[in-house]
Amino acid sequence: VRVINRPEVPDPVGEEILYEIKQALGIRSIQKIRTAKVYRFEGIGESEAHLLAQKLLAEDVFQLYTLNAPAIEEARAVIEVAYKPGVMNPEAASLLKAARDLGLSSLLAADSSREYGFYGDGINPEEIQTVINRLLVNPTVEQVVAEKPATLIIRGVPGRTQLLPIRDLDAQQLLELSRDKLFLNLEEMRAIQNYFRTIGRDPTDCELETIAQTWSEHCVHKTFKARLIVNGEEKTPLLKRLQQATAEINHPLVLSAFVDNSGVMEFYQEWAICGKVETHNSPSAIEPYGGAMTGSGGVFRDILGTGQGARVIASTDMFCFAPPDTPREEIPPGCLHPDYLLRRVVAGVRDYGNRMGIPTNNGSVHFHRDFRAKPTVIVGAYGILPKDRCKKGKPRPGDLALVIGGRTGRDGIHGATFSSGEMTERTVEVNASAVQIGHPIEEKRMSDAILEASAAGLIQAITDCGAGGFSSALGEMGAETGVRVWLERAPLKYPGLKPWEIWVSESQERMVLAVAPENVAEVLKICRRLNVEATVMGEFTADRRLVVTYADEKVCDLEMEFLHHGLPQRVLRASWKKPACAEPALPLPDDWANLYCRVMGHLNVCSKEPIVRMYDHGVQGSSGLPPYGGIAQDAPNDAVLLTPLYGRECAVVISHGLNPVLNQIDPYWGSLWAAAEAVANAVAVGANPKETVLIDNFIWPFPDEESLGALDRAVDACVDFARATGMPFISGKDSLSSTYRSKDIVLKIPPVLCVSAFGRLPDINMTASADFKRAGSTLILVGKRNPAEMAGSVYYDLAGCLGSNLPQIDLQVLPRVLQAVHRAIAAGKILACHDISEGGLAACLAEMCFGGGLGAEIDLPAEARPDFFLFNETAGCFLVELGEGDPGELFAGIPYLRVGATRPEQQITVYQDGKELFRMELKMLKEAWQKPMQKVFG
Amino acid sequence: MKPKVCVLRTDGTNCDLETCYAFARAGGDSRLIHVNSLRHKEEKLSDYQILVIPGGFSYGDDVHAGKILAVELTSFLKEQLEEFITAGKPVLGICNGFQVLVRTGILPARRIGEISIALVGNDSGHFECRWVNLLVEKTPCVFTEGLAGKCLRLPVAHAEGKFYAGRETLQKIAGQVVFRYADEYGRPTQSYPLNPNGSLEAIGGICDPTGLVLGLMPHPERFVEHSQHPNWRRFESFGEPPGLAIFRNAVRYVKER
Repeated sequence: VRVINRPEVPDPVGEEILYEIKQALGIRSIQKIRTAKVYRFEGIGESEAHLLAQKLLAEDVFQLYTLNAPAIEEARAVIEVAYKPGVMNPEAASLLKAARDLGLSSLLAADSSREYGFYGDGINPEEIQTVINRLLVNPTVEQVVAEKPATLIIRGVPGRTQLLPIRDLDAQQLLELSRDKLFLNLEEMRAIQNYFRTIGRDPTDCELETIAQTWSEHCVHKTFKARLIVNGEEKTPLLKRLQQATAEINHPLVLSAFVDNSGVMEFYQEWAICGKVETHNSPSAIEPYGGAMTGSGGVFRDILGTGQGARVIASTDMFCFAPPDTPREEIPPGCLHPDYLLRRVVAGVRDYGNRMGIPTNNGSVHFHRDFRAKPTVIVGAYGILPKDRCKKGKPRPGDLALVIGGRTGRDGIHGATFSSGEMTERTVEVNASAVQIGHPIEEKRMSDAILEASAAGLIQAITDCGAGGFSSALGEMGAETGVRVWLERAPLKYPGLKPWEIWVSESQERMVLAVAPENVAEVLKICRRLNVEATVMGEFTADRRLVVTYADEKVCDLEMEFLHHGLPQRVLRASWKKPACAEPALPLPDDWANLYCRVMGHLNVCSKEPIVRMYDHGVQGSSGLPPYGGIAQDAPNDAVLLTPLYGRECAVVISHGLNPVLNQIDPYWGSLWAAAEAVANAVAVGANPKETVLIDNFIWPFPDEESLGALDRAVDACVDFARATGMPFISGKDSLSSTYRSKDIVLKIPPVLCVSAFGRLPDINMTASADFKRAGSTLILVGKRNPAEMAGSVYYDLAGCLGSNLPQIDLQVLPRVLQAVHRAIAAGKILACHDISEGGLAACLAEMCFGGGLGAEIDLPAEARPDFFLFNETAGCFLVELGEGDPGELFAGIPYLRVGATRPEQQITVYQDGKELFRMELKMLKEAWQKPMQKVFG
Repeated sequence: MKPKVCVLRTDGTNCDLETCYAFARAGGDSRLIHVNSLRHKEEKLSDYQILVIPGGFSYGDDVHAGKILAVELTSFLKEQLEEFITAGKPVLGICNGFQVLVRTGILPARRIGEISIALVGNDSGHFECRWVNLLVEKTPCVFTEGLAGKCLRLPVAHAEGKFYAGRETLQKIAGQVVFRYADEYGRPTQSYPLNPNGSLEAIGGICDPTGLVLGLMPHPERFVEHSQHPNWRRFESFGEPPGLAIFRNAVRYVKER
């Protein structure tokens, strides 16, 4: 059945593609595009197909349909694009359900795809091919349908388990075995070899896969746990340093740190809140839409899998890409263009979060050309759960293991091992199976079921099936006890999977519950009512062995001791030398107006509103501060505030900070900047530093000696920051594969530390937004900064230089500044507050003006160098619109400066020592600031 | 005695909790009811005085937004729904719920199975989340009693919200248009983003001829507390949030009957 909009009805899908063809590809010959949905059914006749068309597929009000006949007429060319067989089309299940509801019982299978008709004289085949390759088809998951498929049913017979004789392999052969499959080094391969030599047999493919993913960087963080020799001296392993700092701070509100799927802190009354931030770079680099979706789905399951189950209340997204206008020839082979990546990653985050009903209300996008080989995609999630069910559960011998949610297919095989490997030309073809299309509705109903079972106290322990699939979920849950698994019980999407494939498959939307035998029936009942599939797949034992059978064959029998403690600790060398960056000597600018506009229009300053508008940030009715506010709803706020408990005023605050550029100069100060920025964002809306906690995400190049030296400094910065401010890190993640290798180039993606902050506030009314409230108020610059520290700033970037004198945040002063700003906001003395970051005081001031629809005048100190004063980016500083009160009292003992006042005129006027330096119309600044993302998103 | 409110949910419903709270805040006794509970007769619609189909992505909005749920309701709950409507009990469809009411045929003419209007993809081609101005027209709608002529602010969040119908249908339902997207002066508008989806005649919500059934794309349940307004900090004070007024009206109507 083909369904098409009536001629008089617009076709937004077609129009959007046409826009992109002209915008992104610059092809003019295509004048019009019409699209049609194609539905294929197996097992029904014509009359039933007509019934489906009329009752389900086509709405006569605005659509027409055809049966086994073309729907798009007189087009130059018609192209049909469908998911590849085996890539699950989420719509198929809905088609089957609706057909059943309509009483069609004979329907065996259904699928849907889309047809594109190209109109215009002088269209040539090459152009159409370009459109297919660049816009319509991602060959990883989609294909052009050449002829109608013979059948929609995927058949296959399960393969058998194989033994892999590794006991006699030499070093070369061991590495061959590891390459592109296990991603283990020689020492680790040898450890495996020795284990099987001692137990006197060869491993099964399943056992080898189990070990490989359990030992993968992604799962065990070998580098963060390694013995570290820095410039010849041994230092505490990275992870231990962070955990020790957290332990020493011993924060009274922290309920669970580094042990569960997310970090948990106390909220109010009987509630706790939790947070987790994940990276999803590798999958997003090869299939941005599916990769971003599964990234969101995964981090939501981390929240859902915290304690005995938490409800997700917020989602955040932080991206780093190359500039969207990067010339195509500069993109390394095997990599996708940033313009496509950006739009598809945004679409993925949008479609998962929106459909799950989780507000995506905090995030950022950063641009740097060195991300052209691999983007950085960070997704976070936050949740709320009862305090008495917030500790990680432990399965007891005799508890049953239930798998709940989606079915298992050949999806994401080797996801864990692959995401720990480097990106190469071969990545795309070799690891095509490592991404899939997410199914948010499956996860939504699964989460409904879990929360209901959790509320009824039926869950002993829970974890998500993420990287490594069953292997990692069951292997970890049963680490202390042992577990016995019946693999043949796993519900499959289609037959034909080998046992090891079922075992390590990373099909999304699945979780594993440990449930006491007497509670199993009740859990299954809840799942049935909510249309969720649940299956008893195993039993926790007391023998500390991982025993997996598939029907009559034993596919895995490993000692938990070896699996979880047999990995040899790595010994890594690190050293760091400050790179030779020259400090430029820039002349004073002559054209201030033009400079100001260029700063506002810089990709790292410009408005990201078009992205935010596509995310549902109001769902759950909890928003207490939108990402973009002010009179025209287009002025950014610094953090998100949520009131997750209906009818109560207590609030959750969420923010983040990151800066890839500064890390290239010195990762210590760059990382301090990121942490200070994260916390300053939270405090700018009113957060209490004493009730705020942190999450770290290190996205680093492959840890060679030099990168590891940089990582060592970044971790030291985090530890120093935590100790100085008393804010502990309670969760974190590292992804150390941001290096691209091909035959002729090695490209290190800039090292990124993303620090996320979240905390609690007793009363939403004791918070602030960034938009100016009235004309004539005093403006105060709060915080310590040295304007000469301009390295890594947008201002320098526009001058084509990096510099070496970067912002060095004073950890003695910062905590007092944060406290003072928090106190002033809580006391209601502050009308508006905005933290200073990219673009400096000038960008901060302009954004506050946009929000209030008000102008401002500021007067720079006589001794200041005006360009540095305006564009310095030291984090931890604030611009404040003062309500009542004496700044001398509010900010006693900390650096502050009266810089100016708000004005009714729609312009910004800058004086120095009373003499006018320049004046700018807000309108011009706003246009420059909004243009870049409007260009990308239309 | 508080009116019992059936908040109908299924796979992909995601505005159910806040809708429950909104009705509770307005004095209703709201219950979350899964469509399976009605199909399997564990629950009866007739036990409730108000029915609301909340927002979300029922069954992923596959094929058309709200379509799969609409097919399910018309196939299994037709009688229960007709009984509920003819009993003169208020029915509210918000966002995805509006799409469901339209695709069951309950709106505009209370004829289950007869689809005469459609909510189609936004002109912008993508999801839109923003606050809009809504002019309240004078209609028999019980949910907007006392609001006619006012211009409210409420958020929209949808990808398929463009109101579409043939000319003659538009004329037929002219008196049933409850909400129109408007500019800051309350004048109905076709200009984006004030009219966020390109709806014909700026239609954001309609009721049935009796005024007992209301469907709208905007989300009143997201504005029942002052701190939910994106700019609440800019106001010295404001009265009852307009979202809450809509729920109160329904509850009051049931109580006064």
